[in-house]
This record gives sequence, structure tokens and C-alpha cells, in this order.
Amino acid sequence: MTTNAYKMKQVETTKSVFTIFTGLCKGCGLCIEKCPTKTLHWSDTLGVYGTPSVEPKENDNCTACGMCALVCPDCAIVIERKK
Amino acid sequence: MSVVPNMPKSWREETKPHKFCPGCGHGLVLKALGEAIDELAIQEKVVFGCDIGCSLLSWDFFNCDSVQTHHGRTTPVVTGVKRARPDRICIAYMGDGGGYAIGAQHLVNAAARNERITAILVNNCNYGMTGGQMAPTTLPGMKTQTSPYGRDTDSMGYPTQGPEMVAAIAREGAYVARGTVANVRQLKRYIKSALQNQIDGNGFSFVEALSGCPTNWSTNAQKTWEFIEKEMPQYFKVGEIKTPGKKGE
Ligand SMILES: Cc1ncc(C[n+]2csc(CCOP(=O)(O)OP(=O)(O)O)c2C)c(N)n1
Ligand code: SF4
Ligand code: SF4
Ligand code: SF4
Ligand SMILES: [Mg+2]
Repeated sequence: MTTNAYKMKQVETTKSVFTIFTGLCKGCGLCIEKCPTKTLHWSDTLGVYGTPSVEPKENDNCTACGMCALVCPDCAIVIERKK
Repeated sequence: MSVVPNMPKSWREETKPHKFCPGCGHGLVLKALGEAIDELAIQEKVVFGCDIGCSLLSWDFFNCDSVQTHHGRTTPVVTGVKRARPDRICIAYMGDGGGYAIGAQHLVNAAARNERITAILVNNCNYGMTGGQMAPTTLPGMKTQTSPYGRDTDSMGYPTQGPEMVAAIAREGAYVARGTVANVRQLKRYIKSALQNQIDGNGFSFVEALSGCPTNWSTNAQKTWEFIEKEMPQYFKVGEIKTPGKKGE
């Protein structure tokens, strides 16, 4: 059940659809540090506190492992693996 | 494509983003707790108690009956609820200052009486809410607002070993573990086992979670993970310490 429509942005990588809910992202950077392929970076799109949110940049590198979503304390990332 | 945030079902979505600082470990502990509540399908039965300290920022966090108590008193409040309503699943959520300093007597005696409740304690090595003072869990040499030269073990002793203390006091039937936000899946397993122990009526259950407080540690994301993963485990051993029917690992 969704009561809030959070601002969001989607980035398609080779293996995943990466959704960042900028309306939830506080720009802590915990996810960037945990991305095993170092493909997550600061984004020009701002998060809920007006600080940079995050997005994958080297699109071929994202393995859709979901680590970034797992370690986000604010549930701001959703990773969908492409078929 | 319509995608929605993957929050635990038991989270109260209209209060999100939650009130914790960017990168705060409380969010990860409550994510693990939320998923554990979902997987055990106990949301309707949960009574969630939070302490003074940053844990109180969770007073409207779940779609569960919630109560916010005086500092260190969450354990006895939740114990009272459990005694009056044994059919409820009662959770006491607190910080290390609340559980090991001002509420230590409550934790110790609830464990000694083997109360059928679940206590979850967030260890962030300081008094977070009040601005980062030294706590019983502050690491030797660690600088805080009230230990500006670092914790001196000669005058201030060593970090409190909470789960070890609880395990030593608690009777057979208790469940005691220490997890970490650096391993959310394992932390969820421990919390789930703790709740299951209450459901089974075995006895007291207690999970400490090693957690980050980037605001008072003044750490960036890299340094926050480093402190949780490298510094804290030097004094706080992660694992199950007491499980019903068998002695620790
Ligand atoms: C009886 C009492 N003493 C002191 C305080 C002041 N106080 C408020 S929050 C807090 C520290 C909380 O630290 P901790 O329990 O570690 O939780 P954290 O904020 O770190 O999660 C203190 C001492 C209080 N509210 N009540
Ligand atoms: S899914 Fe994995 S590889 Fe892709 S951005 Fe997240 S952590 Fe990095
Ligand atoms: S962990 Fe979550 S809140 Fe923190 S920067 Fe990443 S997406 Fe944003
Ligand atoms: S002060 Fe520390 S414990 Fe409190 S919300 Fe901020 S980061 Fe979390
Ligand atoms: Mg604390």
C-alpha cells in the first residue's frame, strides 16, 4: 500500500533497472561504499535534504546484486534485474 | 513502470523518510526488525516500546501499537504489557546509554527473571541524542564530547560487554546474540530468533546491534563502515551467545 508518492529517478544499466527514490535518499553515501563494482556515484539529482543522491554511472558494471538497496537505512533504492 | 520503495510491510510509510540522521544505523536495525516482524506475520500482535535517546525517533515508525518511555525504562514498561497481555509480542528498543547505564538494573533484572520479552539494543559507542557523550560502550581511546583525550581505561574502565553480561545472568531458555548493521541479513536472523523465542515462551531474548552514529562520530560513509567493521569488533564479538537448549558457540 503506497500512501506517499516519493520523487524518484530511474537509470537503466545493462543488467538492471536502478530506481532511486530521491524523496527518501538522505545522501549518506553508505551504498556507494558498499557497491562491489564501484559503479555507484553521487548524482546531480538532489535528495530529500538537498544533498546529492546517488546513481550508477558505469552502466556495464552494475551486476544487479542489490547490495546498495540492502544497506540503505532509508529504503531509497530498488534494483530490478533485467531478464 | 511503477516501482514502489521496498519497505518492510510493518513500516508506517507515511512517516518516511524517518527521523534518523543520514547514514544512522538505527534505520538499518529497524529495517531488520521490520522484515523479521513481516516474516513471522506478527505485526497485529506487536507492542513496540522505545526509549529516550535516538531510539525514541521510532515512536511512529511502525504500524504497530507503540509506546515511548522514560530513559532506560522501556524494559520494565514492556514487561508490564507482556504480563498484562501475554498474547502480545513485546519489544523493548533502546540505546546503549539507556540499556547499559541508566537502565542497566532493568535489563539485568528482566534477564534474571527470564521475562518473556525481546529487548533490542543499539550500540553506537556513545550517547547519540544528547550530542555524543561517552557511554559505557565507548571504545578505549575513543574521543567523545566528555572524553576529549580518548576514553582512559584506568579511570573509566573498559566497554561494557552487554550480551555477555545478559547471557551470564539469564536462565536456560533465554536467547542472546550480538549482530551488526554491517551484516543486515545475519542481524535479521538473530532478531527473528529472538522474537521466535518469545513466541515459543522460552524466556528472555536480547539482541545487541553494532551500529553507526555518523553525526557524532563525525565520519563520512567510508569511515563509518570502517569503524563498525574494524574497530567495534575488536571489543564486541558478533555471534549467538546463548540459545535455548544449548550453551553458546
Ligand atoms: C533520566 C534521564 N537522564 C538523562 C536524560 C538525558 N538523555 C537523553 S537521551 C540520552 C542519551 C541516549 O543515549 P543512548 O541510550 O546511547 O541512545 P542513542 O541516542 O545513542 O541511540 C540522555 C542521557 C534523560 N532524558 N532522562
Ligand atoms: S546493484 Fe550491486 S553493482 Fe549495481 S549499483 Fe547496486 S551495489 Fe552496485
Ligand atoms: S544509502 Fe540510501 S540514503 Fe544513503 S546515499 Fe545511498 S540511497 Fe541515499
Ligand atoms: S545522532 Fe547518531 S544515533 Fe542519533 S539519529 Fe543521528 S546518527 Fe543516529
Ligand atoms: Mg547510544
